[in-house]
Amino acid sequence: MSVSTTSTHRTISVEINGTTYERDVPASLLLVHFLRDDLDLTGTHIGCDTGSCGACTVQLGSAAIKSCCMLAVQADGASITTVEGLASEDGELTPLQRSFHEHHALQCGYCTPGMLMSATALLEQNPSPSEHEVKVALQGNLCRCTGYWNIVEAVVAVGEGGAR
Amino acid sequence: MLLREVEYARPATVEEAIGLLSEHDGARALAGGQTLVNVMKARAASPDLLVDLADLDELRTISFSADQSALELGAMVTNTQVIGSSEVEVARPILAEVAATIADVQIRNRGTIGGNVCVNDPTNHYPPLLTALGASFTIRGASAERTVPADEFFLGVYLTAVEEGELLTKISVPTRRPGTGDAMAGITVGAHGTYLVNAAATVGPAGTRIVIGCVSSVPVRAAAMEEHLAAGDLSEANVRAAVTGLGATLDPPSDVHATADYRRHLAEVSAVRAVLQAAARAKG
Amino acid sequence: MTAVETDAPILSKGSAVGQSVPRKEDRRLVQGQGVFFDDVKRKGMGYLHFVRSPYAHATIVSIDLSAALELPGVYGTLTGDEVAILTDPFFQIAAPPGGHVKDYALAVGKVRYLGEPVVAVVAETRELARDAAELVMVDYEPLEVVVDARAALAEGAPVLHEDCGGNLSYSGVWEWGDVDAAFAEADHVVSIDQLHFDRFNSTPLECGGALVEYNRGTGQWTMYTNNQFPGFAAIMMGPAMRVGLDKLRIVTQDIGGGFGNKITSHPQLVACCLLARKLKRAIQWTEWRTEFHQSMSHGNERWFEGTEVAVKADGTLLGFRTTAIDDAGAYLRYEPLGGVIWSQVAAGMYKWRHIRLEFTQAMTNKAPVSPNRGYSRMQQLWFTERVIDIVAHTLGFDPVEIRRKNFVQPEDMPYETPNGCVYDSGDYPRAMEMALELIGAERIEERRAEAASRGKLLGLGIGSTLDSGTNNFGQSQLINPDLQFSGNNEVATVKLDIFGEVVVTLGTTPQGQSHETTAAQVVADILHCEVDAVHVRAGHDSYWNSHAGFSGTYASQFAVTGLGAVKGAADMLAGQMVKLASMVFQCPEDAIELADGFARIKDNPEAALPFMALGAIPNANNAGFPEDPPTMNCRFVYRPPFDVPDKERKFGNLTLTYATQIHACVVEIDRETGVTEVVDYAAVDDCGVRINPQIVEGQVMGATAHAIGAALWESFVYDEDGNLLTPNFYDYHVPHALDMPPLKTGAFESPSPFTPLGTKGMGEGGGGGIHCICAGIQDALRAAGGAIVTDSHNPYHRVWEMLANPERSRGTVEVTSR
Repeated sequence: MSVSTTSTHRTISVEINGTTYERDVPASLLLVHFLRDDLDLTGTHIGCDTGSCGACTVQLGSAAIKSCCMLAVQADGASITTVEGLASEDGELTPLQRSFHEHHALQCGYCTPGMLMSATALLEQNPSPSEHEVKVALQGNLCRCTGYWNIVEAVVAVGEGGAR
Repeated sequence: MLLREVEYARPATVEEAIGLLSEHDGARALAGGQTLVNVMKARAASPDLLVDLADLDELRTISFSADQSALELGAMVTNTQVIGSSEVEVARPILAEVAATIADVQIRNRGTIGGNVCVNDPTNHYPPLLTALGASFTIRGASAERTVPADEFFLGVYLTAVEEGELLTKISVPTRRPGTGDAMAGITVGAHGTYLVNAAATVGPAGTRIVIGCVSSVPVRAAAMEEHLAAGDLSEANVRAAVTGLGATLDPPSDVHATADYRRHLAEVSAVRAVLQAAARAKG
Repeated sequence: MTAVETDAPILSKGSAVGQSVPRKEDRRLVQGQGVFFDDVKRKGMGYLHFVRSPYAHATIVSIDLSAALELPGVYGTLTGDEVAILTDPFFQIAAPPGGHVKDYALAVGKVRYLGEPVVAVVAETRELARDAAELVMVDYEPLEVVVDARAALAEGAPVLHEDCGGNLSYSGVWEWGDVDAAFAEADHVVSIDQLHFDRFNSTPLECGGALVEYNRGTGQWTMYTNNQFPGFAAIMMGPAMRVGLDKLRIVTQDIGGGFGNKITSHPQLVACCLLARKLKRAIQWTEWRTEFHQSMSHGNERWFEGTEVAVKADGTLLGFRTTAIDDAGAYLRYEPLGGVIWSQVAAGMYKWRHIRLEFTQAMTNKAPVSPNRGYSRMQQLWFTERVIDIVAHTLGFDPVEIRRKNFVQPEDMPYETPNGCVYDSGDYPRAMEMALELIGAERIEERRAEAASRGKLLGLGIGSTLDSGTNNFGQSQLINPDLQFSGNNEVATVKLDIFGEVVVTLGTTPQGQSHETTAAQVVADILHCEVDAVHVRAGHDSYWNSHAGFSGTYASQFAVTGLGAVKGAADMLAGQMVKLASMVFQCPEDAIELADGFARIKDNPEAALPFMALGAIPNANNAGFPEDPPTMNCRFVYRPPFDVPDKERKFGNLTLTYATQIHACVVEIDRETGVTEVVDYAAVDDCGVRINPQIVEGQVMGATAHAIGAALWESFVYDEDGNLLTPNFYDYHVPHALDMPPLKTGAFESPSPFTPLGTKGMGEGGGGGIHCICAGIQDALRAAGGAIVTDSHNPYHRVWEMLANPERSRGTVEVTSR
């Protein structure tokens, strides 16, 4: 919502994983901290301080974005999906989450939410991506445990319609 | 990784935005935020007021000028938009080709072409490219609007012709004429990484423009090389001859990734590659 | 894609062990339901931010907290002066003079590296803590800086720790065999001026931190943190804080990568504990990426100077002598153990018997060093691989043939090295064959020609390495004879709950190594139940009483120590279940078997007790038995079989197992720019019995990615003022998915004769990727000047330098022939 007055705080209304939250937040609050600290959605992680690692990736609308490179106030009126919004209410995992599990695409799990969100955004746009297209989509998501090979395989497998 | 207290406004019109930028000292325009938010996290800069341009739809369009001679990109056009634009593909595809190599998907989804040029970080992709393409930049202030050519737009590190209280509203890029080829070449740290050195080249009936990035506070025209190639001989032998001495004219920085000498060398290699690729495209 | 051949499985076919069982850990992690320390919150917690030194070396003249304390929302502060009163300096592993280092939770009196914590500020929000930290005024008087370990050892160098009198932390001569005779017998002596292993680390994606609470009534602290070696942390913290170890409860659940870099967080944890007590509230501390890079756990940078190698005409390597100079950074926290740990692989994979290595370690004004994936062995293995590669290069031997000739052979296993370490099992030639086949070595000249047509220099590189696992901590006595540490241990408990649920606790602190899954596989096989029926608690908690002095996850040992403890406890429980069933059925124990989730009479399977019955009896229904029914609650401490090494001869078995990894790569170098790309890769692993092949492969992949990053992009570079020029991910490039080459993996199993399950630890990997990329670059450069690779880290500018001035590096290698 447009405002031409200036203020250090704003009341924002954000839809996250289908639920609308209205909160008063400082303009200086990063979106990732809004998610983690204000809303207790701790699945989105922080791995760096330069917008480089992608552990904080969420979907803004359908686009993958880094929530540490955005202010909460910029998300006013937006619709956001975090990793907590992927599986169904009763815990049924998405094909992508299942594919990560089958392909051993996670070890410590710290980069995983960001990877899942980037891959989810990709698959929504491109349901059967090539290996190269997956790598391009995940370029902004760093991992130090897996070396990426199993992650790429897991995403490609979803596009090919199932587990290996 | 935590910002200082800051004021925030989200104007509905360009006029309101310019008004806010003019009225408040220490106001900064917030476009995609991919650079500015990170700069504020590091507390390397702490503006007093952020003027969020998110609602300024008129800055988000890609269209042709009235006479079809130029592609007009609103300052808030994102890299992802550039990549997916059919107008760009038709009129000046090099823009999309280069946009696709900027950072990563997440940053491209939010980062804007206007933000990229106004930051004018020496390693940014657009400044040398737009200089090679002969782009022009429309700047609107409280009382007037003016257009600045690329050669006069980039003034220094983080410094452009956009003054306090003004807003970059659009970038005009000449549409590619038949017989014109564009290319950008360089060396990055890792695939699609930050540039160590780059060179953008345009070759065609209007002549040859070669611009080197990352070697100075602003993109550098390789003037002597352009002159050597003005007659139109773009054979590899002549291009290699033309680049001789380019490195010696440059004063690039030394850092952890490259010494000044290495950058000089890479500048020459990149310039040759960019020109040869542009020449090949001009033919094809 | 994996080639699998197994030898002599320990457990019977149809078992869970040996299967790539999908992980138990995944369900919570793919839903973002993991609990990492920063996810833990307490009402009213105070956020801690450290004021850090902007100087690499300076005296602290004064600290003015007044402006910070006036800021509303600031709860309090902690300074070095307070710390020096409230705590004693941390225990030092080094003998004097290094042992005189005084290390505290905050800088006391002076700062010794850029980024060193000086003051801790606690406030209501993260941002306020940061704001307040900016208001703390510290007055410094800069001192001269030394950033090179060799300069730090020179006369007149600025001294970091006055109590030590100089910057030496440890120095010793390690010599075995008859080195002089070997050189007298040599047909060639290859001299290499200098080899340099660079400083980097594994940059786990999650940085350090903790949520610390203090219970005033009991005097106990609870730390929700990601320290990966709680045994060590507690031993360091307790005496410093003047409290018994039971007052220090360390809890971990999910940890976002460790790789050794989360072993030495005890100083920061002490600061958090003191503040939790002082301010009467929980303290939340999260380290930021830049802080991690500046201050945490850099890997050991090491020079090997004046190396000489004794070689016979037929390519047999007789021995070597060298001087190793190691850089410990500003404080000794796990150091100088690096000064002995390398000797686990002193001889690398080769049969030479005559070795002399003078090891000297110095302190410098840089971040303190701590174990980094491959800790200290990787440096030595890189050295032996460079040596054999350079010897091959200069004397005209084929790198594959010279390795085949000099490898310890499978028939020599178990093999005692010149310094008494025992390589338990392995087949290096077979692993190398497999790697060469996977990389398509026979086609390499074809590929080389094709690359040349594109203006690229192509090279094939081999890197062979060992991952030594399960330390004998007695090796610490070889660098300080007064230390009282030896052996190793790990603990596990396995019990049947009242409703028959199998519950396992571990003493380990997994950071992605899949302990819950692999432990469950082992238990399931021993108890003859389904893997899903075994519940393994996530993480570590010192409240569980499931840990001992060496508990933690480090040094490639879980498959031996952790699973050894699990096996021991599960065996105990299985025995108890059989015994209880025999008591109930009143028959001999050998008439009972465990099968399909029951304890039943072999000849009469209808007579069966489900786990629920077995669990209920001792817990809730124990009357009527003439003797006590077994408790169904078993705790086992696994102790590997070690002796205390011989301090005089520096001789003895220092590690229980040695996994093999042989890596091969193809690199392409752009002739015009030096830009280097790894275009193909193969990694072969032999870690004995694999509990879960997919998990093992995952570790090999991760080690490969780390090595590629270190070889081409990752380095902690300092300028001469001690400023870190790669303080975060802008300049410290961590490779991403597009940077990775295609990868083929291969595996086979040479079970260890020394371990309960025939397994070997293998998580670190040994840096095989660094070794093979160096070799690949050197091979590629043969066609363009023949430069010799003498650095572990070869970014584009260094490769370009080698292209532009090949004679510079060639000139550092000399051959003297008889």
